[in-house]
Amino acid sequence: MLGEAKLKEIAKKVLGYSGAQEVEVLLFVTDHGLTRFANSQIHQNVSSQDLGLSVRIILDPTSRKAPRGKRIGVASANSFDEKELKNVVARAEVLAKNQKEDPHFVSLPKPQDLPKVETSTEQATPEQRAEAVATIIKKVKEVGHGIVASGAYDSSLSEVAVANSHGVWAYHAAAASDLSTILLGPHSTGFGSDLQKDPALINADLVADRALKKVLDGEDPKDIEPGEYEVILEPQAVGEMMGFFAWLGPNARMYHEQASYFSGKLGEKVFGENITIVDDPLDEVGFVMPFDFEGFPKERLVIVDSGRLVNLTYDSYNAGRFKAKNTGHALPAPNTAGPIPLHLKFQPGIKSMRQMIKDVKKGLLVTRLWYVRFLNPRSMTITGTTRDGTFLIENGKIKHAVKNLRFNQSIPEALSDVVSVGRDLVRLSSFETELGTNQMPALHIGKWKFTSGTEF
Amino acid sequence: MRKAEEIISKIPEGMYADVRIVEREAESIATKDGVVEALESSTSKGFGVRILKDGAWGFAASNDFSPNSIDRTVKLAIEISESSAKHIDHKTKLSSEKPVKGSYKTPVEIDPFTVPLEEKLELLLAADKAQRTDRKIVISQASYSGHKEKKVFASTEGALIDQEIIYCGAGIEASAAEGSDFQNRSYPNSHGGQFATRGYELIREMDLVSYAPRIGEEAMALLTADQCPTGEFDLILDGNQLALQIHESCGHPTELDRALGYEASYAGTSFMTPDQLGKMTYGSKIVNMTADATLPGGLGTFRYDDEGVPAQRVYLVRDGKFVEYLTSRETAVELDEILGASAGRHSNGAMRASSWARIPLIRMTNVNLESGEGSLEDLIADTEYGIFMSTNKSWSIDDRRLNFQFGTEIAWEIKDGKLGRMLKNPTYQGMTPQFWNSCDAICGKDEWNIWGTPNCGKGQPSQVMYTGHGASPARFRKVKIGVA
Repeated sequence: MLGEAKLKEIAKKVLGYSGAQEVEVLLFVTDHGLTRFANSQIHQNVSSQDLGLSVRIILDPTSRKAPRGKRIGVASANSFDEKELKNVVARAEVLAKNQKEDPHFVSLPKPQDLPKVETSTEQATPEQRAEAVATIIKKVKEVGHGIVASGAYDSSLSEVAVANSHGVWAYHAAAASDLSTILLGPHSTGFGSDLQKDPALINADLVADRALKKVLDGEDPKDIEPGEYEVILEPQAVGEMMGFFAWLGPNARMYHEQASYFSGKLGEKVFGENITIVDDPLDEVGFVMPFDFEGFPKERLVIVDSGRLVNLTYDSYNAGRFKAKNTGHALPAPNTAGPIPLHLKFQPGIKSMRQMIKDVKKGLLVTRLWYVRFLNPRSMTITGTTRDGTFLIENGKIKHAVKNLRFNQSIPEALSDVVSVGRDLVRLSSFETELGTNQMPALHIGKWKFTSGTEF
Repeated sequence: MRKAEEIISKIPEGMYADVRIVEREAESIATKDGVVEALESSTSKGFGVRILKDGAWGFAASNDFSPNSIDRTVKLAIEISESSAKHIDHKTKLSSEKPVKGSYKTPVEIDPFTVPLEEKLELLLAADKAQRTDRKIVISQASYSGHKEKKVFASTEGALIDQEIIYCGAGIEASAAEGSDFQNRSYPNSHGGQFATRGYELIREMDLVSYAPRIGEEAMALLTADQCPTGEFDLILDGNQLALQIHESCGHPTELDRALGYEASYAGTSFMTPDQLGKMTYGSKIVNMTADATLPGGLGTFRYDDEGVPAQRVYLVRDGKFVEYLTSRETAVELDEILGASAGRHSNGAMRASSWARIPLIRMTNVNLESGEGSLEDLIADTEYGIFMSTNKSWSIDDRRLNFQFGTEIAWEIKDGKLGRMLKNPTYQGMTPQFWNSCDAICGKDEWNIWGTPNCGKGQPSQVMYTGHGASPARFRKVKIGVA
């Protein structure tokens, strides 16, 4: 870690190297370790340290009386050497000078009070990682059944700082420890994971037990006809679906470009009344982030309130362009994806997983989704397959495992047909893990469209 | 190169080590609706040290080339391998390869970094504007990126290699909307366009501005086009869609690390298991797939891989039979052990790392469907009823690479050997071996093109790699179409 004082000194230098009308500097310091295992032994163990320096220069070529738009250039490098700082500023200036005017850019953010947050900066050592992996492998070997363990223990620490020529200064440091395993049996697989701020809280036994239950329960998967089924999506599967919602749903840029299913629907009912979704970057159960990548403060934002679309996510560019309030959702510049929420959270329901299963007459329990992609972005229809444990439920009880299925499903149709929302939220990575996590429940959905099966 | 030798000289006796020093430079430009919304220049430099001690790997990397940092990074790589060694049953061995001393530079006519920025901006803005043929075109986009990667590889076995890989690419995309319908068309390909290990001559050859009006008009025409019908029909895939089909259903499942379970924790495994090598009927007799890192201009072209093994051309599928994997030094030995062979199998040079901070993994090079005979026109004329699909829009495949579904931007109905009405929202799905066994015609060399896929993801931590796929249009019989 370099610490706030050092990064502030570097940012100050960078800002001093340019006389442009507006300058922004974004600094990253990353320390990353990962231990990967397969066939019940460690096969990859890596560590890397890196720096990131990105400078955005904004030139205003015209007078205030005849505004023509501003010229923007971005340059980056992975060194904080004096020479490199100057070099990156010079490269960004050259780009900005040669750039065409952007009529939509208004201004970089002005200084604001930032929320105070607390988080961990503890990283797992290679030994800690190896021990957690060894715990899983030992448990799996004890169980036998021809099961082998694979997985990864990822431990990362990031410092991120933003400064601009208007006086913005923002600094945040955070760590994440993420242990996950996929167990491979002769005819089934099982998944378990644990994501924590502090490696001391990682529970390798629990990760192994969850995955073992899935792989053992799934040992003899049977064929099942594709078609429409009532489903319970476990939190991991909901998270995989909601990643696509985050990208195309409340994203103001997509909304105004008519590229989103939500386009023109602000204030309207878009999902069932039992669905409330917020972006909550300050909820300390998740991985907090007090500001966005322009140094603008983040705050809790209700996106869908009892099924009604009530807010979109904005960064300074789109807020200026569409005359809306900046909600603090900028990604690092240049950002062509638009402002995206990184801390989605469902309003939880009251039912446990056991109670939700009890409510199903005939349906499927889905552990995870895999290779999810948009099939039709405008209708927010996704495709993908099930993975790591899919089970038939009959009359409120899990009957047996079934082979994996492909689905083609509209997200709005699914979220308009939610029978119940689970009471327990699970923390799942949404971006660079230590800077963003979603909190997802299980969902009991009335209809989910499966279109074909596979051989396992 | 001296720095790499200096780092290697710090490795204690009794272990294998290699070091890669990588310096990357990239320039990217993106326009949207007549505004240059991204203009970025980036650089990254660092080194990675890979250690194999007592049969266990350790890897550490840093951006800091100071003597202290080099010592610390080497020490950390050794400590990590020692930590791993306590938890392994099977010791890693490397295939015997002759250490190479060599040098390579991508041959280019025009270094993309020497072309004035002004020219690139003018080109993209003109191509952006030319797509706007009607008010229903709600988004027009153009993009370009150029990349230069200088890398030095040195090993304790005496290898010393320097390479400079240059690649670039560009493309345009028009989006039309009416009511709730939203349709895209791209040129020369979707997902950023066409990419190759070539210079700026590639961008000029694309002639983006001339093609832009057609792309705009097709996007608009799709708004009123009929939905692609549902059923089992003959399918002709254009080369740009076939490239991704090859990537997903042949390239990935023939990666030997995946087949051996090393990617099980993330990307999955493979239905092409070692016991099937040399036995499995992967496709029909006309299906020949190669991995060829020597193809001039292919996005997956280089002279040496990131283990210092020379680039090669190998058949993965020959006359329909699965005959080889993409391999590394470690997995070549392991495959020999599994098959009970003492052939002294060698790596076929497919180890690639996305940056200095990542270890090399088995990656596709240029994985190609070898050409057949005849023109696309002949193939269409030979098809009584079918669907011709072009340009990828959606892709998904299961974690053993069997059940897939693809969607394309556009399709046309073929009736009595002639292209007929335009169709929107086309999709097709199938199971990999059945699909390739239904292939009964592949167009000839004149229709063959190497398509670049610059965004192939694999590994933990994630690595994005650039790969190439040579393909000419091909026909598949009785495919499940239009099931979205």
